[in-house]
Amino acid sequence: MMENQGNAIIEIQNVSKVYRSRGALFGVRAKDVVALRQVSLKIYKGEIFGLVGESGSGKTTVGRLIVGLEEITSGEIFLDQENVTGLKGKALKAFRRKVQMIFQDPYQSLNPQRSVLDTVSEPLSIHRVGRSADRKEMAHKVLKSVGLSPPEAFFYRYPHRLSGGQRQRVAIARAMVLNPEFVIADEPTSMLDASISAQIFNILLKMRSTFHVTQMFITHSLAAARYLCDRIAVIYRGQVMEVGSGETIIRNPRHPYTQALIDALPKFKGSGEIKQYGTLLIEEREVNGEPMGCPFYPRCTVAEIRCEREIPGLRMLEEGHYVACFNV
Amino acid sequence: MAEETFRTETKGMERYPGLTAFLEGWGIFRQSLLGKIGLVLLIMFALMALCSYIPPLIDPMYNPMTGVDPVITCSTGPSRAHWLGTDFMGRDILSQLLAGARVAFMVGVSAAFMSIVLGTAIGMTAGYMGRFMDTFLMRLADMIMVMPTLLVVLILAAVFGQLNIWTIVLIIALFRWPGVSRIIRGQTLSLKQRPFIEAAKVAGASHVRIIFRHIMPNVLPLAFLFMTFRVTSAIIIEAALAFLGFGDPGTVSWGMMLQWVWKTGHMFKAPYWLLPPGICISLITLSFYMLGRAMDEVLDPRLRKEDQTD
Ligand SMILES: Nc1ncnc2c1ncn2[C@@H]1O[C@H](COP(=O)(O)OP(=O)(O)O)[C@@H](O)[C@H]1O
Ligand SMILES: [Mg+2]
Repeated sequence: MMENQGNAIIEIQNVSKVYRSRGALFGVRAKDVVALRQVSLKIYKGEIFGLVGESGSGKTTVGRLIVGLEEITSGEIFLDQENVTGLKGKALKAFRRKVQMIFQDPYQSLNPQRSVLDTVSEPLSIHRVGRSADRKEMAHKVLKSVGLSPPEAFFYRYPHRLSGGQRQRVAIARAMVLNPEFVIADEPTSMLDASISAQIFNILLKMRSTFHVTQMFITHSLAAARYLCDRIAVIYRGQVMEVGSGETIIRNPRHPYTQALIDALPKFKGSGEIKQYGTLLIEEREVNGEPMGCPFYPRCTVAEIRCEREIPGLRMLEEGHYVACFNV
Repeated sequence: MAEETFRTETKGMERYPGLTAFLEGWGIFRQSLLGKIGLVLLIMFALMALCSYIPPLIDPMYNPMTGVDPVITCSTGPSRAHWLGTDFMGRDILSQLLAGARVAFMVGVSAAFMSIVLGTAIGMTAGYMGRFMDTFLMRLADMIMVMPTLLVVLILAAVFGQLNIWTIVLIIALFRWPGVSRIIRGQTLSLKQRPFIEAAKVAGASHVRIIFRHIMPNVLPLAFLFMTFRVTSAIIIEAALAFLGFGDPGTVSWGMMLQWVWKTGHMFKAPYWLLPPGICISLITLSFYMLGRAMDEVLDPRLRKEDQTD
């Protein structure tokens, strides 16, 4: 960890996000949603960092906070050691040249009224890169690199004439065309077939090897994260449960929630041990009063009394392996 | 088989998506009887408007405003020299009718165009900016919407005397944008939440860029649909105004012709003079309306939630 200190490209420190309910209806205030609580992560140059968690755990929120689509409630975000929390105006625009995002749903993330060339070259014209002919050239190159070839055949196509996989390739091309330092891919294949997903994964790998772009790969599937990612963070109800190398998380998970996720992975070898760890309670445990302890407490088989009252912080178990659990 | 040929036909036009979209739309439009009738009627009126330049060339006495047949001193019925007859001072009714078509197009299209541009710009701004801007613009729209346009123009005409035709067009435009802006605002509100807008933001797009490059192309079809309905209402307002005697005295519009019939007491004496402008006003508004309805069907069904009452 220490030797890596210098080359963290993105660092988020104690980031919390609360979605405040809009206005009170008939005097009854809807509950605020705490999407993230005290999340800290470091992402190193050149790696693919996996953010794994079930639906609603706050993965998308992490991505949206980093790219500045959502206002941060508390905490700080750094890009190359520079504080980029709450940027505005010119600084924000400069930041956006370096940090891009690929959205979850390619059926929604492309403007139906704009052609592929319009979409892919737009970031270039926004940041005034090159002339129109250069932009076309660059769009050509990037479309080719995401496997849309010949690019000319796609230039003047509109999204409704593209398949889901082709759309997501266009979205990747749009994110890559500015040659950013860091790209967040938010469940880029959750809307696509399995075979197409594999192709998209390979494009992301290729982006890393050819353009050396650091990536954060958001997914609900530990299997996908294991295939793509160097390091993985497991997030549950807005809190980081475990961080480690992909190998560690898969082979030696220490947090009961991570272990439950591994148990849930489809197994092909043998048939004997269906549940290796058995850390997931079948029925949720009752929590008295306001939940204030570990978010996994209601479903944890190895919970202690203090787990109901106290939130465990991330502790280092070994080099680069952190777990938020009192029990390990 | 037919589909095959259509495919190959459209293949070469890949580069002209506007054209392909137009052809697809035309395919749907063609199936609408209402649309076809409307279109035929409109072409007829357009031809009339074009022909309005011919009579004055044949003989100065066919000038719709100033040309008087020297041998006629009162309104006469159809004859060989005047196919539809003449008005009270011997002006040719057919030439007036043709000139009226030109004025109707001019008034209708320009007033509608202006109100659509205004309504679209205001609707997009209100929907996109939200907050104070939204509240302010929409309250303004409400205020203007509840004012009866015709009455306002009548009052203005009474205060400022005779209004020029372009002033009338401008006033109609200024009072007819709120309906459009409400619908465009609603459309913008839903577009604003869509991920492609967020993707543009992440790419660094400015608000102006998002409004004009991303939102506008998505609301324009709806705006154009509205334009056909606005043409109808603009033509009716101008006709009513002219009939009531507040039109531009230097312009021969159909409403003006009706006003002359009425003022000179020929209402029940000269059907050859009364009927043509009356029928033309009804038919042209009807045809724009039918065209709008047919275009409505061509557009994406999601866009169809407007209320056509005003
Ligand atoms: N705009 C929003 N307003 C209110 N709550 C939200 C909003 N966006 C997300 N949330 C809530 O925040 C939590 C995390 O959401 P999200 O980050 O989308 O999860 P994930 O991407 O892991 O499925 C969820 O409980 C969700 O309901
Ligand atoms: Mg999500």
